[in-house]
Amino acid sequence: MFYVSIFFQYMAQYMKTKLQYRTDLVVEFISDLMFQAVNLIFILVVFGHTTLLHGWTRDEMIFIYGFFLVPFALFGAFFNIWDFNERYIVRGEMDRVLTRPVHSLFQIILERMELESLVGGLTGIIIMVYAGVRLQLEFHWYDLFVFILFVLGGMLVYAGVFISLATISFWSDARSSIMPMMYNVSNYGRYPVDIYNRVIRYILTWVLPFAFVGVYPSAYFLGKKEWYGYAFLTPVMGVSFFMIAVFLWNKGVKRYRGAGN
Amino acid sequence: MDYAIEVEKLRKEFKSYSSRSGLMGAFRDLFTRNYKIIRAVDDISFTVKQGEMVGYIGENGAGKSTTIKMLTGILTPTSGEVVVNGMNPHKEREAFVRTIGVVFGQRSQLWWDIAVQESFRLLKKVYRVSDKDYKEHMEHVIETLDIGPLLDKPVRKLSLGQRMRCELAAALIHNPPLLFLDEPTIGLDVLVKLKIRQFLKEINEKYKTTILLTTHDIADIEALCERVIMLDEGKIIYDGSLQRLKENWGEGKQVQFTFAKEVTDGELGVLTSDLKVGWRKGEQANSWIAHVPPVHVSDVISRVVARYDIQDINIDEISTEEIIRNIYEEGVVHG
Repeated sequence: MFYVSIFFQYMAQYMKTKLQYRTDLVVEFISDLMFQAVNLIFILVVFGHTTLLHGWTRDEMIFIYGFFLVPFALFGAFFNIWDFNERYIVRGEMDRVLTRPVHSLFQIILERMELESLVGGLTGIIIMVYAGVRLQLEFHWYDLFVFILFVLGGMLVYAGVFISLATISFWSDARSSIMPMMYNVSNYGRYPVDIYNRVIRYILTWVLPFAFVGVYPSAYFLGKKEWYGYAFLTPVMGVSFFMIAVFLWNKGVKRYRGAGN
Repeated sequence: MDYAIEVEKLRKEFKSYSSRSGLMGAFRDLFTRNYKIIRAVDDISFTVKQGEMVGYIGENGAGKSTTIKMLTGILTPTSGEVVVNGMNPHKEREAFVRTIGVVFGQRSQLWWDIAVQESFRLLKKVYRVSDKDYKEHMEHVIETLDIGPLLDKPVRKLSLGQRMRCELAAALIHNPPLLFLDEPTIGLDVLVKLKIRQFLKEINEKYKTTILLTTHDIADIEALCERVIMLDEGKIIYDGSLQRLKENWGEGKQVQFTFAKEVTDGELGVLTSDLKVGWRKGEQANSWIAHVPPVHVSDVISRVVARYDIQDINIDEISTEEIIRNIYEEGVVHG
């Protein structure tokens, strides 16, 4: 309960900060919208050239992409830890975090909250609706809850992988380019995995399970029965990967060396 | 629980790489790294009683900050025992930090973009302070530190002195029985320093708050601390009252001569070779400072004046700063 109330406190402060810079807020909102519009057009153009890929139609691929955007937006909004090494380890902000009586990872997540990213999720939903209508997908009342469950699962998969990567900073001082690289890898999850060879498919399912952010959960909504098993693994994978990440984090914090003054 | 801090054989080692020189060296580094273990804090032991104000001093890199970071649960010790407020800082971190306040002079605890009172409000929630306690305690703190008019300004618009006072108030929101201050007066002007010292004295008297403070400004220590712990290369080289330190080391006077012409160390040494006098170059051109036992003061002055053309003479008590410098130069404390 305490953590929930703290969450809303930070959220309120975040809003206040944003509202202080009124012009910034407007500019940011407009540029976000424009970016998303461009994104949307881009997707339609790119997928316009493909019609059928390994048994997946163009609209199905668009649907997968739309779905992917939702957990990805949530991840972007709440797990903005790209610059963890730079900001918290090198500049020593971690010192301050560690002197407060709230779990350190939770504090960092709250401090780095970036709610604007949620706009991307909206784009995702629009894309899904567009593709869904064209595919004449059936939508049941309980699908809404399945959707929420899968989105949260996908978000946790992302969070788990990137938090685990961030913890490397506790062991090694060197700055690494592994985060951007991983970001590229994560993009593979938005395409149907059966277009890849077996090794890559295995990796995207069990090692860096980005397939659980896009294609697997979407398969459920697309009615691809052969993928249902994987689809329902989404929340399980999310929770497991996130727990591994928290475990690594707690180990890592003990090794934190601090920055010199 | 009589002791606020108990430290037994505390040690912290850092592993650091040293890179070899040259291209070949860099290549070899790829395969085998040269590790060097640096002992930042070397088996130190001390205790601090509740309500004590202790000055923790040492040169840069002596291990002050590392010690403080272990005492506040930020760093995990390599070996040794730490018990602070009856708890093990890094093992029970979240429960523990509720009982301490921390101010890092070089690092802000406040949120940069939001008004000071918003930061306070957030911290109040984080530390789970009730409205009643907050009102009772913080009204007094805000008044004494004179930060009432600053509360609705964002932190980034405050001057350093204003910000530091707010930092101090922020560290006290949960009224902790133990306060760690790492260089709280760094870069501040004299008036703000005075105000902060006065405030620290007051909360120490009022709440019996234990305070451990590191500083480079010896005046802070003189104003606040009965006891100092002095650190050099990770080891405690002195732990005791400031008074005793002064008595043992501060005997004698410091005589500063400003000569009309250039003189050398050697000439002066020969001149006073039979007296126990130490010569040191002063800050101004052609000025030399003699550290003289009290009985020889007039002797030294008469010899120097008879021999050289003197422009100015000053006779001072030996300052605490001087004492500490002497100790560091010699490396050990005798007496």
